[in-house]
Amino acid sequence: MAHDFDVEFIERGDRKARFLVRGLTPAIANGIRRAMIADVPTLSIDSVRFVENSSVMFDEMIALRLGLVPLTTSLDDFEEGDEVTLALDVEGPATAYSGDMVSSVEYVQPADENIPIIELKEGQHLEFEADAVLDSGKSHAKHQGGVAVGYRHLQKVEVVGDTPEFDDGEPNILRGVIETEDGELIHTDEFGNDLTQQFPGKEVEVSDVPGAFVFHVETDGSFTVEELVLRAVESLGLRAAELEEKVSV
Amino acid sequence: MELRVIEKTDEELRIEIAGEDHTFMNVLKGALLETEGVAAATYDVNPEQSGGQTDPILSVKTEAGVDPLDAVAEGARSIQAMTDSFRDAFTAA
Repeated sequence: MAHDFDVEFIERGDRKARFLVRGLTPAIANGIRRAMIADVPTLSIDSVRFVENSSVMFDEMIALRLGLVPLTTSLDDFEEGDEVTLALDVEGPATAYSGDMVSSVEYVQPADENIPIIELKEGQHLEFEADAVLDSGKSHAKHQGGVAVGYRHLQKVEVVGDTPEFDDGEPNILRGVIETEDGELIHTDEFGNDLTQQFPGKEVEVSDVPGAFVFHVETDGSFTVEELVLRAVESLGLRAAELEEKVSV
Repeated sequence: MELRVIEKTDEELRIEIAGEDHTFMNVLKGALLETEGVAAATYDVNPEQSGGQTDPILSVKTEAGVDPLDAVAEGARSIQAMTDSFRDAFTAA
């Protein structure tokens, strides 16, 4: 079975991208989506040793907040289960931010530096050492690298005629990415999701394009969208390779 | 991934694939249905909370002369070909 894929980017950023893939089956599209959410591992703080915590919050509540801080993860250098230590020492009056954490590994840093952990008042002190572990979203949502991952069918919009003279002029709302008759890809946000804005005075017909999926992928900053997609696809391939090997013996 | 054969005849196979979920099983099923010599392919998986058999069970039926285990291997190969060509198409874009 030969696969002929065609990938086209509609929006491309490090943390957020929208791209069209042609030649997919729904099973593959959903496999890739699910793998991006649950199977690509990220580093996240999992256990914390408190030296001092005289803030208004319990150790456990602070530990939970720390777990939700995304850490930049370079997947070439770590295997699942590997640990990295981070430390923080902040005395009030001040707010402890994610960026105040000092990592033992230079390239593992909080993906965002301005996440507040807790506000400390005069005389309050927070000091801890925390171990971040590499694990997948399957075990805990804090390890999800993809935070908003989904896909829609590409929709083809065809002009079939003019609107009648006494038309009500009601909006024709559509969301997603459309393909015009010239083969142009336009996200509906660009014209307020209203087809009557893009095709004024025209009657249009909308139909799904078979096998064409528009993915919308956002990451938490642990790695780029590109890395996330490629790792997800790789994980499917690795599992297929493992299965092939195991049924052959 | 732990495999356990539950039932195997010349043209039928029921096999448990421990540790996998819909992510891989549905892709595998999709590939098997497009594999030559496969008459039927499906999988069954129960939710975590059901407390019973929660690992997916793959069922494959093949046409005469095709070993279902070979068909599964062929399906797995075609998934690898698919992921390779997806990677190439994605990096080229």
